[in-house]
Amino acid sequence: MTSSKMTKKNQNYGELVLPGLFILIAVIALWDTTNMMDSDSYVFPRAIAIAMIILNLLLIARKLLNLTNDKEQTRTVGASTFRRVALIIGMLISCMIMPYLGFLLSGIITFIFLMIISMYDEWTIKNKIIYPSTALITVIGFYLLFSKILLVPLPTGVFFD
Amino acid sequence: MPGIEYILEALTPLNLLLALLGVTAGTVIGSIPGLTATMSVAVLVPITFSMNPGSALLMMGAIYTGALYGGAYAAILLNTPGTPSAIATTFDGFPMAKKGEGDLAVTLACVASVSGGLVGAAFLLFLAPPLAEVALAFGPVEYFWLAIFGLTLISALSEGNLLKGLIGACFGLLLACIGIAEISADVRFTFGSQVLLGGIEIVSALIGLYCIPVLIDLVATPDKHLEITHKSKSFRLIEAITIAWRHKFSLLRSSVIGTLVGILPGAGGSIAGLVSYSEARRTSARRDSFGKGEPEGVLATESANNATVGGGFIPTLVLGIPGTPPDAVILGALLIQGVRTGPSLFTDGGSIVYTFIYGLFIATILMFPVGLLVGRYAYKTIISVPKALLVPAVAFMTILGTFSIRNSVSDIVIMIILGVIGWILNRFGFSPSPIVLGLILGSIAEQGFVQAWTIGSATDELGKMFFGRPISLTIIAFICFSLFYPILRKRWKAFKMRGSDDIK
Repeated sequence: MTSSKMTKKNQNYGELVLPGLFILIAVIALWDTTNMMDSDSYVFPRAIAIAMIILNLLLIARKLLNLTNDKEQTRTVGASTFRRVALIIGMLISCMIMPYLGFLLSGIITFIFLMIISMYDEWTIKNKIIYPSTALITVIGFYLLFSKILLVPLPTGVFFD
Repeated sequence: MPGIEYILEALTPLNLLLALLGVTAGTVIGSIPGLTATMSVAVLVPITFSMNPGSALLMMGAIYTGALYGGAYAAILLNTPGTPSAIATTFDGFPMAKKGEGDLAVTLACVASVSGGLVGAAFLLFLAPPLAEVALAFGPVEYFWLAIFGLTLISALSEGNLLKGLIGACFGLLLACIGIAEISADVRFTFGSQVLLGGIEIVSALIGLYCIPVLIDLVATPDKHLEITHKSKSFRLIEAITIAWRHKFSLLRSSVIGTLVGILPGAGGSIAGLVSYSEARRTSARRDSFGKGEPEGVLATESANNATVGGGFIPTLVLGIPGTPPDAVILGALLIQGVRTGPSLFTDGGSIVYTFIYGLFIATILMFPVGLLVGRYAYKTIISVPKALLVPAVAFMTILGTFSIRNSVSDIVIMIILGVIGWILNRFGFSPSPIVLGLILGSIAEQGFVQAWTIGSATDELGKMFFGRPISLTIIAFICFSLFYPILRKRWKAFKMRGSDDIK
């Protein structure tokens, strides 16, 4: 796999922003515990949130004092951001359409969509036949296994009720 | 020594067939990300209701042991632990697969799982009643410290960056607090959302944090998922057995650790795998190659997590306290069958118990051929499937696996979001393992912490409650050791090198 060092500037930026975000999460958690009346509810999350703030402050201090000996992260060169985003959006859309179209139909649509975005080979006639057929067999096979044998109540979809 | 009649009873054709079916079904189900050992047992348990209790117990044990091993496939080939017990298997299993040694890693996992399973079953056979007392010696505060021990271990191990590991563990513990509070039933951190009321499901989070980052990177380039450095024509069994024999003491130690951790109710295979991995790395001459595809790492974790099967059955059968979540399902099934677990089971129900224990030995041995065959098929499938089919198939499995846990579409959305968060964190050196373990151990840690806090506050002995009990102090010593040992070792190494330079 071709890879190069992640730009130092980006990494430094992230090394400071991420601890800041974690501190923000911990502060929000602490604030939320002020609404809790029972000490059994807040004693543990408060302890963890305080520990998280201290650890992140240490991380920031270590970064600012340049005491870090972190390995540089690598980033793949020529990686397609478009395909990455499309994958996540495709999966999220699958969740949204599932209650309406049912698991089977939404599964087939998602599978084919993800197949298209992850296709790097040429769409030959053979591929055009084999890949969609495999998609159908896989989705239908697992649908039957889970819904009929393992008895998982997969959504049938409001349009098909 | 229990009689030969029980061995013969375990060896009846029906029991052999049930063991074979159980191991095969467990291995296949356990290999699917999202379907845990607990789910495998729970899904298949109704089949056993019509059987006699001995055979039913045998089949459930076989499913359980097969599912724990099956979890290693996804951990090695997809960097996604099929079950939480296989978290530590990803540390060296996936790097091995990336180097083109995936087939060897799968065979090593099989050899280690069989060895661990046999050691666990031997402890169950010979030492069950005295060892069950260990489980009773652990109070809430000990469980709290045990959970913290697990988290410090994984923080120190996962990426070699302790501070980031500890932050990840805290983040996981906070995620575990979302939803209804463990003890007081207060609603926490939901910010008015109905979706978050049920909390974050552990296995969904595990799938998201491990599997989605792999998919995101997989889809972005045309490169092959795994390297193929040689044309693999065999199981590489001789090679695997040679490696296992070379590390026989590590294998045995990991199996014993797995059994002992399995005895502690709730601790489970994830802690067992981590503790044994940490010990294997600490004592190994090749400790620097751990995390980069070291076969000993796979041997240690896989032997330990399968040894928890026998270990977990010790408190389940002797005390009626389930050692691990699948044991709880099995305990329920036994109660339905009219079997009352407890110390008297070994005397009054000897036929059931000893037939089962010998059956567990047989099932573990049967796992060897079954595991090798299924593992080989899984490896060949993963390396030969083109990316345009692998990515959608894995993505589809993550959606299906996540949905099937609680039948919730919201869990899938949470899984995807956590996956994206995990991918971003990974790029800045935050490993997913501490976050996942924080989620897994969150409820054990909170229960222990809050109970100890409440008792300590009521008796005005808060300090003594947390730091004054012998078992707690021992675990705290282990925590300090796991946190500071790498730093001290580094300093000692530098000191020694300086010393030798001075002499020169």
